[in-house]
Amino acid sequence: MRHLALAILPALALAPSVRAQEADPLRLDEKRFATLHAQLCAASPETWESVPWRIDLLAAQGEAAAAKKLLFVWAMDGHPLACT
Amino acid sequence: MPVALDQAYERREQDAWGEFYRAFAKQGPRADMQATTQGFYVATAAGELLLYNNNRDPEKLLRLLREARERFASSEAARAEIAPRPRGERDPRYAPQPPEGGLVLRVRAQVLGGYPEPKEEHQRAVQRSIGRDNLWLTRAEREELTRGEFPASALERLARFHLVDNTRGEPPMWTKEEVRTLRAGIRNGVIEGRFELATEKDASEARRYRGELRGHLEVRDGVVTRCDLVALGGFRGEGRYTRGAPPGEFPFAVAFALADGTAVADAIPPQGSRGWVEGYLRPR
Repeated sequence: MRHLALAILPALALAPSVRAQEADPLRLDEKRFATLHAQLCAASPETWESVPWRIDLLAAQGEAAAAKKLLFVWAMDGHPLACT
Repeated sequence: MPVALDQAYERREQDAWGEFYRAFAKQGPRADMQATTQGFYVATAAGELLLYNNNRDPEKLLRLLREARERFASSEAARAEIAPRPRGERDPRYAPQPPEGGLVLRVRAQVLGGYPEPKEEHQRAVQRSIGRDNLWLTRAEREELTRGEFPASALERLARFHLVDNTRGEPPMWTKEEVRTLRAGIRNGVIEGRFELATEKDASEARRYRGELRGHLEVRDGVVTRCDLVALGGFRGEGRYTRGAPPGEFPFAVAFALADGTAVADAIPPQGSRGWVEGYLRPR
């Protein structure tokens, strides 16, 4: 019986902290790091990312002139491609 | 020809880029170059504005674009020979380049929960959106990283200008005084750290972000080949241009990864460097 208690007690003492860690959504262990890094940095491209955006206005003007095309300019406060 | 730009640069630039932007933007309803001119523009290569719109409805914008294209196709302008505009020297205040010999890291941020149920599609998109930016490191900081040390100056820049909630618009950055706790170390290639950033509680835009840092650094033959990092913690508050944050404290993550230069966005200067690159690289 004593042996059983000795075996169980450490497990009982450990259990709440393990549960607390598992339940803490802000705990950044290795598994959570890998999940979040993939979620944010390797996310599937959004539709707007498939557009071949130019970021040099004059280079685009030259291209548009040569191809006799229009310029479509997405001008925002904060760069649309890097502050979105 | 699709172009994306931060009009806060182009409307101020004293060079050929600024002159061309102002030439067509002034024909629209936002002709005051001292105020924002943001929106969608369709212009000819000669600088004639055919359309200005700032509507969020993609179907409406698409319809207006098609109409502008049809008007252009049937006009004399479509057949006119237009010369490329001379480029000349770029206004250095608005054409910052990454530090020579340094590194660029892509930055991605996301609110992980806490929003109320969205009422419409745009709100749903905003709630799931990923904020984007670039982090610049100097040559000296890259060299420190190759020695397996996390540069204090890079850590401060990372915290003040990149641990921000930019998922709903242009965010307020953190002042030096608002950095309450900040530490990070590297052991056997694993980066670990903690941070707490907070305004004064009674500030008009009271905010707080505190949590942990974790990442991996790999260096091969003196070259940084991997610098993956995640910040995870509880965020509270919002800024003047980032209204609509979840109520109370919400889970918020920021992730960093080496930019390899393959994406056009890798060349865009950090939001925190706008107007004062020196202040970004050497914050006071």
